[in-house]
Amino acid sequence: MINLPNDFYLNLIFAFILFFIGLYCLLSMRNLIKLLIGIEIIAKGVTLALISASSVKGLILTGQSLVITFIVVEVCAIAVALALVINLYRHTGSLDVKKLTKLRG
Amino acid sequence: MVSLFIIIPFVLAAFLPLIEKVSKRFLPDLLTNLAILFLLIYSMTFGYQVVASHSGIRHFQWFNQNLNIVFALDGFSLFMLFAIYLVSFGVTLFSIDYMEHYGSKGIFYALFMIMVGGMSGLVLATDLFTIYVFLEVAAISSYGLVAYGLKHDELEASFKYLALSAVATAFLLLGIALIFSITGSLKLGDIADRFFKEDAKFIMYICTGFFIFGFGLKAALVPFHSWLPDAHPSAPAPISAMLSGLLIKVSGVYALTRIFLNVFGLTPAVSTVLMYLGIISILVGAVLALGQDDIKRMLAYSSISQVGYIILGFGAGTSFAIMGALFHILNHALAKGLLFLNSGSVEHSTGTRDLNKMGGLGKRMPITAATTVVGSLSVAGVPPLNGFWSKLFIIIGLLQARAYGFAFVAVLASIITLWYYIIIQRRAFFGKLKETLQNVKEVPFWMALSTLLIALVCIIIGIGFPVVISKWITPAVNILEYGIRYAMQYLRL
Amino acid sequence: MQELYLISLCALVFFSVLAVLLKDLLKAALSLMAASVFLAVVLFFMKAYYAGVFEISVVAGLITVLFVSTIGLTRGDDFKESKLPVYIFPLFFIWFIIIDILIMYLLLSKMPPLTKWLSESGKFGDVLWQKRTFDLFAQIGIIFAGVFSVLALFRKRDKND
Repeated sequence: MINLPNDFYLNLIFAFILFFIGLYCLLSMRNLIKLLIGIEIIAKGVTLALISASSVKGLILTGQSLVITFIVVEVCAIAVALALVINLYRHTGSLDVKKLTKLRG
Repeated sequence: MVSLFIIIPFVLAAFLPLIEKVSKRFLPDLLTNLAILFLLIYSMTFGYQVVASHSGIRHFQWFNQNLNIVFALDGFSLFMLFAIYLVSFGVTLFSIDYMEHYGSKGIFYALFMIMVGGMSGLVLATDLFTIYVFLEVAAISSYGLVAYGLKHDELEASFKYLALSAVATAFLLLGIALIFSITGSLKLGDIADRFFKEDAKFIMYICTGFFIFGFGLKAALVPFHSWLPDAHPSAPAPISAMLSGLLIKVSGVYALTRIFLNVFGLTPAVSTVLMYLGIISILVGAVLALGQDDIKRMLAYSSISQVGYIILGFGAGTSFAIMGALFHILNHALAKGLLFLNSGSVEHSTGTRDLNKMGGLGKRMPITAATTVVGSLSVAGVPPLNGFWSKLFIIIGLLQARAYGFAFVAVLASIITLWYYIIIQRRAFFGKLKETLQNVKEVPFWMALSTLLIALVCIIIGIGFPVVISKWITPAVNILEYGIRYAMQYLRL
Repeated sequence: MQELYLISLCALVFFSVLAVLLKDLLKAALSLMAASVFLAVVLFFMKAYYAGVFEISVVAGLITVLFVSTIGLTRGDDFKESKLPVYIFPLFFIWFIIIDILIMYLLLSKMPPLTKWLSESGKFGDVLWQKRTFDLFAQIGIIFAGVFSVLALFRKRDKND
């Protein structure tokens, strides 16, 4: 009898799918806020992977502390990113990433 | 107390915005400089003693209760701490005058101290996830600092940097999750031990890939470098110096080296990958730097190239190459920090970063011109300056490893490096003074003093390199050469 | 139970896809919130109760509030997102899922057996405080970094700048 919630490979498949959706969003979308949504989706994949990795070892309490730290990091990064977006909007009046062409790596 | 290396920056950062309400400029300047100077001296005295007496692993004591905070202050960490505080001290001195017109110095210094604290924590941590968290501490404060000028390209560069870093760290965490599922522990020593005992080579290679991508992006190795030439030039000059001089090395190169050399062990495959990444970065960075008109962009591309040397040295893995790579971390941090500070001086005095609009500045800004010569020659590797010795060691190490082709390309690229630094000198400082630049003045006192100090340190290290190597670098080389056995013995607490 | 678990995983993926493909930003942010809620359900199934609660309160709550207020502050820009990425998405998506499952199958044959040889007991708070103290320490730094960065980005510039 397989216990689905503890099936590491099933969870990992879904974590990779979330990574893919997020990366697709980052590569194809033009709206700055959409890009941040993509980053958020990748972060959900990370959360899933961390928890299932700790669940498979029976270390769910440690895993939860890792995830909580990760969520704090995520919130701070997103808050800074949204502050950047608002500032950029004040400069250009647009959220289009194509208009951000002053710099080219 | 080893914990002071993290506590002092964080506590000072917490109070700086409040102190700013009392004294707008004087107290923040004074306290930050004193704190960094104290940390520099503390790392040279107390830290050195700890490493010399081989009592590097310390638990943090709090009311006689052992908390699970473990610091590993070994030769490698101490060397990185020393480099961090040495460059930071020059940068804070420079900021006293330079950051005047940016406003709210308190918050600037607070973010700066958090970045320093984050880097110190990363260097001292013995736990993979803790390394990640401190990496984010330094990264998040650097997003704020890159955008500190609040102009369009600063905001844009910061956003781009943030988006790419977020993806890179997500892959790092995926690697960490995979490791956790195998080992059930995140201590570096436990990971080294389990990977050594259990047959999990396949997972190790997958994690290696994730880590090369994640830390490689932080270190701006070539396929992942596209954020650096935007983010580093856009930041205020002291922050450019910090980012290019330290952050890419601590959060990229240090973490990569610690994990690959001490935890995973340098297998021939990983060694080859690192060497190729290094050599490609060296070439691409050097060639792209040649075509730039913006002085700071040129320096940024040069950073990519020099980080390539460091990774090439670590990848080769012979003792001379590791020694050269470590020495190059310090030398490049100093020299590139100095050059970025000088580019800030030029921008401060002339209001432009465009090389086409400069010329003959040497007559008006003799100190800046002279220190730029020192920095350029040091990065380019001209004897007897410090950069020459580190590059020489890397090349000797490559020859020891019988990588003759790599050694040849490394020498060739250092000639290209010299070439574009001569371009900077000729177009900015030599020749006839332009009409528009008649009223240019030399920079204020503290800016000049900090650049002079760093230039002096460059020259001293260049002449006294045997002392630096025997006292600071050999302990670090020993640890890295000891490989995974070091982690298995000492990093398991 | 098992079916419910699979359904919540699929709902998580479904709402994530919606968050990417929906044109209206507000709706996209709300589907992101829904995805967070389903992730929390998944975490509950894995007995990660604290993480689940945190996911709901902080990610579904706080981050959604941040997103919605940013969307409110930046209204007035309705450029047309090109429709091509939306149309070709299913193609890539199915292709990726097949590859993903293949890779996992490969991984399954190469992985060492994942034995559950440890088990943790005790209270969550104790584990967090005793085993991951250094992370908590670093979290203080993270929060400072975030707060000061936001303060720096919204600070008033002096007139003589």
